[in-house]
Amino acid sequence: MAERSFAKEVLKLRAGDGEVFRGEGILAITKALLQSGVSYVGGYQGSPISHLMDVLNDAREILAELGVHFEANGSEATAAAMLSASVNYPLRGAVTWKSTVGTNVASDALSNLASSGVTGGAMVIVGEDYGEGSSIMQERTYAFAMKAQMWLLDPRPNLPSIVDMVEHGFGLSEASNTPIFYMMRIRGCHVTGEFVARDNVAPGFSDRNPVEPKREPEKIILPPHVYAQEREKINLRLPAALAYIREHKLNEFFPGKHQQVGIILQGGTYNTVIRALQRQGLADPFGNTDIPLYVMNVAYPLVPDELVEFCRDKDQVLVLEEGQPEYVEQGIHTVLRRAGVDTRVRGKDIMPMAGEYTGQVTLEGTTRFLEQALPDLTLALTATEVEALRNPLTEEDQQALLTNVPPRPSGLCTGCPERPLFSAIKQVQKELGPFHISSDIGCHSFATLAPFNLGNTIMGYGLSLASSSGIRHSLPHKSISIMGDGGFWHNGLTSGVTSAVFNKHDGILVIVDNGYAAATGGQDIPSMVEPNQIIATTMDAASASRTDAQSIEDACRGAGVRWLRTVSTYSVDTMMDTLREALTTREPGLKVIVAEGECMLNRQRRIKPLMKQSINDGKRTLRARFVVDSDTCTGDHACIRISGCPSLTIKPNPDPLRRDPVTYVDNSCVGCGVCGSNAHAAILCPSFARVDLIYNPRWLDRVSARLRGSVIGWLQARTERRQLETAL
Amino acid sequence: MTAASGTINLILAALGGEGGGVLTNWVIDVAEREGWLCQSTSLAGVAQRTGATIYYLELFPREALEGNALPVMSLFPAQGDIDIAIASEIAEAGRMVQRGFVTPERTTLIASDHRVYGITEKEHLADGIVDASVLQTVAGQYARDYIHYDMLTLANEHGTVISAVLLGALAGAGVLPFATDSYRAVISATGKAVASNLAAFEASYQRARSRGVEQFQPPAGAAGPDRFQLPAATTAQGEKLLQRLRAFPAGCHEILYLGLQKLVDYQDYAYAHQYLDELESLLALDSGADDYSLVRECGRYLVLWMCYEDIPRVAQLKTRPTRMAKIRTEVQAEPEQLFSVTEFFRPRVEEMCALLPKPLGRRLLASAGSRRVLGWFTGGKRLRTNTITVFVLLRGLAGMRRWRRASLGYSHEHALIQGWLQAVRRAAGSDHALALELVECGRLVKGYGDTRARTTAQMQEILAYAAGGGVSAAAVASLRDAALADDEGRAFSLALAA
Repeated sequence: MAERSFAKEVLKLRAGDGEVFRGEGILAITKALLQSGVSYVGGYQGSPISHLMDVLNDAREILAELGVHFEANGSEATAAAMLSASVNYPLRGAVTWKSTVGTNVASDALSNLASSGVTGGAMVIVGEDYGEGSSIMQERTYAFAMKAQMWLLDPRPNLPSIVDMVEHGFGLSEASNTPIFYMMRIRGCHVTGEFVARDNVAPGFSDRNPVEPKREPEKIILPPHVYAQEREKINLRLPAALAYIREHKLNEFFPGKHQQVGIILQGGTYNTVIRALQRQGLADPFGNTDIPLYVMNVAYPLVPDELVEFCRDKDQVLVLEEGQPEYVEQGIHTVLRRAGVDTRVRGKDIMPMAGEYTGQVTLEGTTRFLEQALPDLTLALTATEVEALRNPLTEEDQQALLTNVPPRPSGLCTGCPERPLFSAIKQVQKELGPFHISSDIGCHSFATLAPFNLGNTIMGYGLSLASSSGIRHSLPHKSISIMGDGGFWHNGLTSGVTSAVFNKHDGILVIVDNGYAAATGGQDIPSMVEPNQIIATTMDAASASRTDAQSIEDACRGAGVRWLRTVSTYSVDTMMDTLREALTTREPGLKVIVAEGECMLNRQRRIKPLMKQSINDGKRTLRARFVVDSDTCTGDHACIRISGCPSLTIKPNPDPLRRDPVTYVDNSCVGCGVCGSNAHAAILCPSFARVDLIYNPRWLDRVSARLRGSVIGWLQARTERRQLETAL
Repeated sequence: MTAASGTINLILAALGGEGGGVLTNWVIDVAEREGWLCQSTSLAGVAQRTGATIYYLELFPREALEGNALPVMSLFPAQGDIDIAIASEIAEAGRMVQRGFVTPERTTLIASDHRVYGITEKEHLADGIVDASVLQTVAGQYARDYIHYDMLTLANEHGTVISAVLLGALAGAGVLPFATDSYRAVISATGKAVASNLAAFEASYQRARSRGVEQFQPPAGAAGPDRFQLPAATTAQGEKLLQRLRAFPAGCHEILYLGLQKLVDYQDYAYAHQYLDELESLLALDSGADDYSLVRECGRYLVLWMCYEDIPRVAQLKTRPTRMAKIRTEVQAEPEQLFSVTEFFRPRVEEMCALLPKPLGRRLLASAGSRRVLGWFTGGKRLRTNTITVFVLLRGLAGMRRWRRASLGYSHEHALIQGWLQAVRRAAGSDHALALELVECGRLVKGYGDTRARTTAQMQEILAYAAGGGVSAAAVASLRDAALADDEGRAFSLALAA
């Protein structure tokens, strides 16, 4: 069960001809896929297209009605290989993933797919995770499109364009026998808007109408076919693609009165460019512009005829190409020089080579360009004024904010089962460290940030154990790798565990088993986690309802792991003991610790309604949460440094004699018990206490409470009297 | 609406769980109801976990549409192009100003005054809280209109989340050309917690309309000492103490009075007299600079140290008559709701021995065998204070304070205290600033177990360093800062070696 449910929204996917469809970019894409008659869809979740997977998952029923096959693929490579269904048959298919990381994982299958060529339209919807809000290293998908000869669509970010381009994408793919990348930028994925829907189209082939198996040996990627395939890419598929793009006007020309200049841009940046022109008084609210624009909704391949046509009579053009290196700009130079057009091409000479083209960057660049290219034109803002916008603050105020705006690094949620694991590692590090730790992708990568500060490298999803293999012989301790359950199934089992056992790897692998792909929004994965008896577990009757779970332990044993321990993360003491044992044992071979604890976000989603129901039904129900005694807390915050729980915060010290704020547990506490467990394990302080709130108490609760109350009350009254006698 | 784009541009920063998404949808629905087009987008990324999520909305009036053409709206908030900036918390408002999204010509800034502390503020070894008043001053300078009050408190008063209060502030700010009833209608249409959300909306709406801004109040306790009036004594013994206290400069009265209260509660009247003895001897050496800050601050740290948290003290605090009521409020239990309280204790051998008479405690600590035996009892303990047995046990432990003076712990702590006071007195004669810095080192003495051992040891090192002579006040201050920089003593060792 994913973090966000689209159960209600997917009903919109049934919209028919002429209905106005309102919603998010992601939902619009799904609708466009159905309108295009896809036969199969799949993918692997990851921001910014996690929700696309969630939508597809929640839309299973609607997909089934049409006969569309859906798979939540094991990895991006699995998803890419799925597209091979379109090689021999006129089946339309689409898969999705986060790029460029997913594209990297998928690259083997993609290259082969691109070489074989496709009969049915094949589309990869890539969530281009570039710029602000990104969670990965900054690269573009563009390079892959060029080297594999796949076409890259980058539509204008409004819903009608997004939907149109999906439909045209399949047409382009089929016309040129080439798989397509359809690029969605982060903000485009979440943009809201509306478009006029068309009827969904049931696929020509499905379980209702199977294909007739057919062999086309020339499409298999073995020599000598591969040589022919490469020539075909250039001699047949590219010209066919260019013809389709021109014929269907996938790229757009917007005229403007200043014909001696122009701007060449990719569709995805169109709105930002128009905004810059609007602010300069050169465009109206509807995008009618004084500066001619050539908008490439197809970012790759370039269409030489169109470029020449746009540039021929201009003195200068500006190429707005986000990211590096400047492939597009270089391509345009080549096109123009070959055609003997000597229009000056401005681009990275006046634009930043690296980084996102935000509103400010785009405004600065266009202003710089226009001031130089059209010196007689009066702009609303001069280049100097525009640059001043970048930072309107005085130096003094800047400094004041620098010291007083605290950073908010990502961290683990309240009650997260990974927190006690890292508390334990941090404490063991104090005894046996310092440690070099190979980290991985997932929520647990936040352990590399404050307050845990654990972890040295992150090489990719499921690759932590693999990335220990080169350093392990040079470490003063057994190598430590931390991997999530998501990463384990994605890649870690084969490239990590299997390879490590084969190479007699003597290190430690901690598999953080929270039962879901938590960082991407709580999607299900092959394994499940047993709900463990933690404190908040008073309500833990119902575990998740799957019967088909695959076991991490069995997979490890099958791969030859002999030393294997499964430990509940919430037991900090046991975890520390297990880590110590793993680090010091003489037993050879890989040591795997499965650190178990269900993702608290998912768990709360499951338990909260149960708890409410139980209370409403009048059943005796306990709810646990923690408190810190502000009288015994001395304000050292050691507890925070080994926890970092969002609900564990601070407040001004109620004792006017003390200067340092005291620790305080706010009401978002879910009672996971880590504070208490840490107070014990790290021998912290006596300030933590657990409070069990009783709902619908039974008579025994009431009687014993009354008895206790009267005895304790009597004793306390004595204390109070004494206090008065011995006051100042 | 002055923008060439014809849009009203709104940026919103909300922390996880504050309902930023709900608020965004409300604004979209209000716009829809009023005949405006609204485009929104958001940046979650990994920020969905703890950081702020940024929502960006552009609104365009349908009446300005020409034919079938739709307006082109930006997906990026841009510097100098924002009409309304909303921050659910004051530091996030600061971040918006820092990023240039708040400009004096255009931007109305709506921000709650409350704080949600960041991890760097929370994990600090002492006090890492940023200065919110600076944030407010700067925000006020750069906003065209700055609407701010504690919206979280307002939300809590109405039993709802901050998004409803922010919506009220937005409506009350009057920057959107929408009827207030449209806001009310969208809240009602959601069908969830309608009454409390509407009430919170109204309260916030009125507040924003009247621009009822609040000035930042420094936390209580920082009030000037001159405002403190020494209360009359309630007991004869108390009067004796107060008589001695009156001889001190008025500026010291509040701290010392609180100190005496604490000491009488912690031990007895004699202990409080002992405290005044020490301070009197220091008063003779105090030049009187900064209204006798030397005595005042020494009075602060001395009492905290003298009331060191040993087992009897913790037991005393855990059995306080007022404690359960305090917990009831803190956990927001219903008035008559039953609850139980489980303490997490883990005393070490050191703490147990500290409780024993000095010779015995010392012998046990020195003997490996007896340490091992005592070690059997040092496992983590979970004790339910609301049961009679545990309560009586804790009360018994609290009662052991009457033998405290003979205990190993007492002699240990008081030897350290004497060393510190001597250093202070020695410096006070010649270098007042140095003496004050040494006094301030009392702040290091806190925590339990290893933490306390580390901080006390660091303090001893600072004292030893100062005893060498020719040491400046600044040098001591920087050593102290280094001790508070990390809990592994890395910065401190570096500073000491330098």
